Amino acid sequence: MSDLVLRNIGKTYANGYQAIPSIDLTIEEGEFIVLVGPSGCGKSTLLRMVAGLESISQGDLLIKGDQVNHKEPAERDIAMVFQNYALYPHMSVYDNMAYGLKNRGEPKSEIETKVNAVAQMLGLEELLTRKPRQLSGGQHQRVAMGRAMVRDPKVFLFDEPLSNLDAKLRVQMRVEIRELQRKLGTTTLYVTHDQVEAMTLADRLVVLNKGHAEQVGTPMALYERPASTFVAQFIGSPSMNLIPSSIENGVLQLGVDSQLACPQFSTDKVMWGIRPEHVDIVPLQDADLSLQVKAVEALGAETLIHGSVKISEDKQYPFVVRLSGNHAPDIGQPIGLRVPQQAWHVFDAETTKRIEPL
Amino acid sequence: MSVYFPQKLLPYLLLMPQLVVTAIFFLWPAGQAVEQAFYQEDAFGLSRDFVGLDNFTELLTSSEYFASLKTTMVFSFSVAFLGLAVALWLAVMADRVIRGAMVYQTLLIWPYAVAPALAGVLWWILFDPSMGPMALLLESIGIDWNHFVNGDQAMILVVISATWKQISYNFLFFLAGLQAIPRSLIEAAAIDGAGPSKRFWDIVFPLLSPTTFFLLVVNLVYAFFETFGVIDATTQGGPGQSTTTMVYKVFNDGFVGLDLGSSAAQSVVLMVIVGLMTVVQFRYIERKVQY
Repeated sequence: MSDLVLRNIGKTYANGYQAIPSIDLTIEEGEFIVLVGPSGCGKSTLLRMVAGLESISQGDLLIKGDQVNHKEPAERDIAMVFQNYALYPHMSVYDNMAYGLKNRGEPKSEIETKVNAVAQMLGLEELLTRKPRQLSGGQHQRVAMGRAMVRDPKVFLFDEPLSNLDAKLRVQMRVEIRELQRKLGTTTLYVTHDQVEAMTLADRLVVLNKGHAEQVGTPMALYERPASTFVAQFIGSPSMNLIPSSIENGVLQLGVDSQLACPQFSTDKVMWGIRPEHVDIVPLQDADLSLQVKAVEALGAETLIHGSVKISEDKQYPFVVRLSGNHAPDIGQPIGLRVPQQAWHVFDAETTKRIEPL
Repeated sequence: MSVYFPQKLLPYLLLMPQLVVTAIFFLWPAGQAVEQAFYQEDAFGLSRDFVGLDNFTELLTSSEYFASLKTTMVFSFSVAFLGLAVALWLAVMADRVIRGAMVYQTLLIWPYAVAPALAGVLWWILFDPSMGPMALLLESIGIDWNHFVNGDQAMILVVISATWKQISYNFLFFLAGLQAIPRSLIEAAAIDGAGPSKRFWDIVFPLLSPTTFFLLVVNLVYAFFETFGVIDATTQGGPGQSTTTMVYKVFNDGFVGLDLGSSAAQSVVLMVIVGLMTVVQFRYIERKVQY
């Protein structure tokens, strides 16, 4: 049985603003689903609707087969980790974790056993008597996780839980969250705007754009076959190069001076795309495309070459190449690029949807 | 923050206005009161005799003075409690309002702009036994209202008029305090299974405690020392001594009864009480109320 089902879920505010037109999503037991998208795409709203903190305007929300649209947050048997952690500042770590269990009226001894077990799992035993203000950022995060775990809910909800941590801690906590979720096997819905977090954590990703689910799938599926230019640019870093082009009689006109053999598509106006890491540097005379180098970022293990491709006499398009190892092309000079056809992504220029060769 | 002045004189010059005002309008009269407290002056102010601690011993053996101390306590704690409770209730309600919130908030702040004496007169008219609308309303539900005769009713009246003004002030602080509590805390508590009233008492109220304690002290000080105007305009301390608070008694004994020595001694006692309250306030604010 599916754990969490969103059927035609929508949100319209009282002032008529439609934050989420309609979303369908079926989440299996133990799955880790990441909702990802830019700010204002409706991902937090959707999460809060599942939590019961925001009313649902249309559709059905099912948890373990029960319709919970109108249930109070507490009755839905979910637990949520907030962006600012929302620890009760006047309660000790122990009381923070025990509060939900106390409200359920569980016996004291049982509460103690549960809190201690979770504290041990998260390495919080030493901190149980402290107040939140005596904790570091990472410890805050752990206590917030502990508070969610101790209640053994049907669904975990995470609302950008790592965005207040510094970069190093974020990577560490990311790994920790993933491990814990695997160990507990609890169905999880996780909201983030960070595509690296999304890629590394998710069993399946939901890319949201203006309240629509642009694409749902495994991180690799989204990386390899993005369904639209929006997903193509959102997943992957640096994001995919996209150049408006046209296809005529089996020839792709790429920029002003590059023609490449190309299969036929249903339309001739296309957005042609390739990921920065799928481009090779070749001598200019063998090149598919020439790139005017503007800046070089050497990161040690890899080099990012930022440049532009001329698409008409007075118009240039930015283009990034990602190479492993160290490279030092001359800035201001053209370099030759090879763009292998199996790495192409072609989108309809009008609908921005992915299209395949006929 | 420290600021360094090149000349030695300038900082003193800049402080001068405040120091002069403090000296003339506070230190000097306070000194006079302390001195006066040891003398017995005749009613016309022509002569005076040094009487040592007689004024104080007389005070401490006078049942009337202890009655006014008790009146002050009842009055002050009623005003503080009522003022805090009503203001908190209003603030919680106003915090929930989304549409037209500014209108509510502005209207609730208005009473603070009304002068104390006017507030007193306002309530005095509303509750006037022969023509006040409130008195007539009470009469219609079988309560015989006459605060000119009934001491308890007089006390209720002064408590209401003194509280009414203070509610606005408390409301402002409570509302700011409520708005400073992150929404996510309330939401977390909701997910943790706490209903609205449990959320209030478990989360909101403890988090408001610094505000509440600050207001408690401010309100007690207000009720103790700054309610002369309200009492004078409403009941003039009567009937009998039933609404004569310590501050009102200072005025009454000194300027009506012309017993300046006793009045001065009472001022000195009040000064000591203010000092004690200040000490308690600072000790507590530094230690107890934090989370």
